[in-house]
Amino acid sequence: MGGDLDSFNQLVLRWERPIYALAYRVIGREEDARDVAQETFLRAFRALKGFKGQAKFSSWLYRITLNLCRDWIRRERRTPVVQAPEGIDVIELAGEDTPSETVEQLVSRHEIGRAVAKAMSQLPDEQRTAIILKEYHGLTFQEIADLLDCPLSTVKTRLYQGLTVLRKQLREAGVESTFGK
Amino acid sequence: MTGPDPVGRDTHMCESKELLVSYLYNEIDPVSKREFQTHLATCVECREELAELGATRAQIATWTPPDADLGFRIIRETESPKRRWFEFSPAWGLAAAAVLLLAIGAAVANLDVRYGSDGLVVRTGWNRVADVAQQSSVAGATPVDWKTRADQLDRRLRELEQTVSSRGASVVQNASMSEERVREIVGQSETRQERAVASRLTELMREVDAQRRLDLVTIDQGLTRLQNSSSMTKDLVQRLAVRTASYDAK
Repeated sequence: MGGDLDSFNQLVLRWERPIYALAYRVIGREEDARDVAQETFLRAFRALKGFKGQAKFSSWLYRITLNLCRDWIRRERRTPVVQAPEGIDVIELAGEDTPSETVEQLVSRHEIGRAVAKAMSQLPDEQRTAIILKEYHGLTFQEIADLLDCPLSTVKTRLYQGLTVLRKQLREAGVESTFGK
Repeated sequence: MTGPDPVGRDTHMCESKELLVSYLYNEIDPVSKREFQTHLATCVECREELAELGATRAQIATWTPPDADLGFRIIRETESPKRRWFEFSPAWGLAAAAVLLLAIGAAVANLDVRYGSDGLVVRTGWNRVADVAQQSSVAGATPVDWKTRADQLDRRLRELEQTVSSRGASVVQNASMSEERVREIVGQSETRQERAVASRLTELMREVDAQRRLDLVTIDQGLTRLQNSSSMTKDLVQRLAVRTASYDAK
């Protein structure tokens, strides 16, 4: 059993960041996302005997996380809020990413990130969740459909609708559509 | 109704957003992909929409969650011992036990078990105290020969007075004898002390005289060494003067 614990902690080490990132993007609060991630691993460990390997371990973790996020949103009875930092420390930003970027590009990227976060928080839950799972976690349409218990076509529709709304909001926020080209 | 429009576009393709999304994320079968690419070659609107959605995807990628100190680790809980159905806190438990023992001890110490016409009677200490008091009050009512008792007490008192007076005279006599003896002892002690002081003084005078003589001898020896040293120095100076004179002569 001690060996099980060590092995499981290896999985925790591997998946704690993606799970925390998923929780943060869904509920938008750092501390709460941390709590959700922690609870996810605790529940996963307790239910480990019930995991038969019928799904990928990561999908199983995602399902637990999304359920906890759903509980959190229901409990808090509010839409996800994105905590945006008040100011941007240019020096700090310059030191954290690829050296090929200029400081201006870094600042621009972070400003766009804040705009994206704000636009995402305004999406309906199902659209936001579909985009998060697809864009940040690289799940296939089928995996998303399995996780969200909905047809494949619904996943594609949610993605299309969500991306379209985001495109409109980012344009209104003054974010250049040529970014990334 | 869908199909080719007047400029040859397949409007069915334009309306199928699922196909657009599948192509956007590259989750599309090869046949459908080729068909959609053919459509894109002729449909500007779909091409533009595809480009804009691609740009939006690139913008979405800039959103990163804040760094968090995670380091989660599952640890095994140590099993806590099951609580008993009764538990005293230490202070209350000890106090209660002490009171209980005290009560039992008091009861047992004065336990009175009798078997009589009333059957078996068990009395504890508190009941017995009450009984004794009751018995005393009952005994006070019985007739007593007070005159005989008073005469006995009077005789006993006189005997004691005689004994005490004879012992008192003896003590006084012993006291006067002790006073003379004390004076004698004090006198002897003073004499011994005077002798001891005189003896010590004599001894001290002898020690001082011996030390004085020893010092005189030491001083004498020092003076002698100093004179010898002085004569040697004088001798060296004379010899040096002779040598200097001989160098001057040369």
